[in-house]
Amino acid sequence: MAMLDIKHLSTVFSTENGTVQAVRDVTLQVEKGEILGIVGESGSGKSQTMYSVMGLLASNGRVAEGDISIDGRDISPKNYSKKEYDKIMSDIRGNEMAMIFQDPMTFLNPVLTIEDQLIEPILNHNDISKKEASERAIELMRKVGIPSPEQRIKQYPFQFSGGMRQRIIIAMALACNPKVIIADEPTTALDVTIQAQVLDLIANLKDEIDSSIIMITHDLGVVASICDRIAIMYGGKIVEIGTADEIFYEPKHPYTKGLLSCISNPEEKEKKELHPIPGSPPDLLNIGNWCPFVDRCENAMKVCKMSMPDEQEFSKTHYCSCWLTHPLAKEGADE
Amino acid sequence: MANPILELENLKVYFNVGGGFLKKKDVVKAVDGISLKIYPGETFGLVGESGCGKSTTGRAIVKINQPTEGKILVNGEDITIIKGANLKKFKQDVQMIFQDPYASLNPRMTVGEIIKEPMDIHGIYKTNEEKEKRVRELLELVGLKPDHIRRYPHEFSGGQRQRIGIARTLALNPKFIVCDEPISALDVSIQAQVINLLEKIQAEMGISYLFIAHDLSMVKHISDRIGVMYLGNLVEVGDSDELYNNPLHPYTKALLSSVPIPDPRVAKSRERIVLQGELPSPINPPSGCVFRTRCPKAMEKCSQCKPELKKVKDRMVACFLYDGDKE
Repeated sequence: MAMLDIKHLSTVFSTENGTVQAVRDVTLQVEKGEILGIVGESGSGKSQTMYSVMGLLASNGRVAEGDISIDGRDISPKNYSKKEYDKIMSDIRGNEMAMIFQDPMTFLNPVLTIEDQLIEPILNHNDISKKEASERAIELMRKVGIPSPEQRIKQYPFQFSGGMRQRIIIAMALACNPKVIIADEPTTALDVTIQAQVLDLIANLKDEIDSSIIMITHDLGVVASICDRIAIMYGGKIVEIGTADEIFYEPKHPYTKGLLSCISNPEEKEKKELHPIPGSPPDLLNIGNWCPFVDRCENAMKVCKMSMPDEQEFSKTHYCSCWLTHPLAKEGADE
Repeated sequence: MANPILELENLKVYFNVGGGFLKKKDVVKAVDGISLKIYPGETFGLVGESGCGKSTTGRAIVKINQPTEGKILVNGEDITIIKGANLKKFKQDVQMIFQDPYASLNPRMTVGEIIKEPMDIHGIYKTNEEKEKRVRELLELVGLKPDHIRRYPHEFSGGQRQRIGIARTLALNPKFIVCDEPISALDVSIQAQVINLLEKIQAEMGISYLFIAHDLSMVKHISDRIGVMYLGNLVEVGDSDELYNNPLHPYTKALLSSVPIPDPRVAKSRERIVLQGELPSPINPPSGCVFRTRCPKAMEKCSQCKPELKKVKDRMVACFLYDGDKE
């Protein structure tokens, strides 16, 4: 059974200008111990999908539809009253599901020591003394590679560099051995050499802790190196999902193909021309119930603007939603 | 070879920080003596981690930061002491594209006004009709519609705003453009659009670029030559393919091996040199070679004296490891 199971999730935000459909009918399973990458541009709904799961949506957002369960336990907002849901989620957040945020500079409280911040989740979810919690916090800091943790735990966030702060945030996420860790662009704010250190750390930790990790990112290079499976999101929908090899070597959706052809691979000996995807991402405020990529797709057909394509199966792990790969459209596309 | 359009000679930019009553000021050595040459029609990529001084170098070239020491020669003329009419001419020739397309455009001016402003200041077109015609041409050149001229920046997306910024830099027909991380604020699919636009403009107008970025794969794509900076120093300069395929300086090696490769099989099989520790503070840089504190191959000599940028094979490297194989 899947560790995290999301079925037909839709999330909407009410704004002055109307309703924004940020997440549209997303179905996703995360297995035990795997690293799943969610790739998409800004505004594709990748972060909001996970915020919906964590119950961290902004006040004008709500989960309109869908079922979510973690390790068999139902956490769909629609099945509970607001009060019950808040109670369940405060038990789950930090304990069974933890999140690593993008910006290590703003996530930590500048007026509390690292110790205060690190033992908070441990004390909240476990019945142990403060001293034991501190010991565990030091153990966690050692695990994420912070040198001399006994001294450094008494320090304040400003005394740490960006990479070290990101390690502390990772330590905090690991505090209660969560079943699912959601990392929202964990390395975007870091330099490449520090990014390599943090990615190595995440990959090594995965072997040690057997949590499932969901990695939200826009960087295809990052997902290529550490993810087992990759989901590509566009316009609030998952347009393609498959193993890392399937996505990189046998992409089916024109958006995935487009993404791969507009990045430059420095390993290639010959300079290839970049093929950017024309246009810009769709406006989720007024979006029709058809393929969201239709306006930027070079091979768009009439049907693409008439209805939403179904999901097609290419292998047990590889699915894609596109009319071009639909059996009925095949004849037309070949011409 | 033709005369370089831009030449930096031992450029140093220091900033004073802190200090107060009875407290000594500290000096941040943002750029600590770099020399390089950029030739007409060439793209020179400058890479390095944040805080290595690459942006400060770019800003010194357009005279936003005053150099503490050293010379900046544009077409043979030292621009650090330039004045009057020559200064105005220099400002026409050298322009800059900024990183953040949201902060670099005035929200209260229309696109037309933004692009027209440099023309007004330098008076290169006489009549308003001429200016407006040129603005429309520029908008078309950067891939926007000429009738966007009356719109305001907030009506555009990030990629489109960056195009407006590029149109503004082109308004004075510059010969040299400093591109300070022009794509790092944009989405992946939009980055390629802007890179292709910059390449197209270069092919049409023969402009030289100094392309500053931390995204090494894009830098390699667009640059003819690349310079690698570390803590205010240039550690390696060479042809972009050569430098990428066969890096010599230990820092370049580590930097290149940290770049995420968008290819799972290559990414999983290749060996990575993960640098230990973080960038030292530029207030008290290490003695001798600035990289020695993180260098896997540091020797005793490295802490005693500073390696000079020397010619090794086909490029310039500042490292004692290559002292033996000089030409």
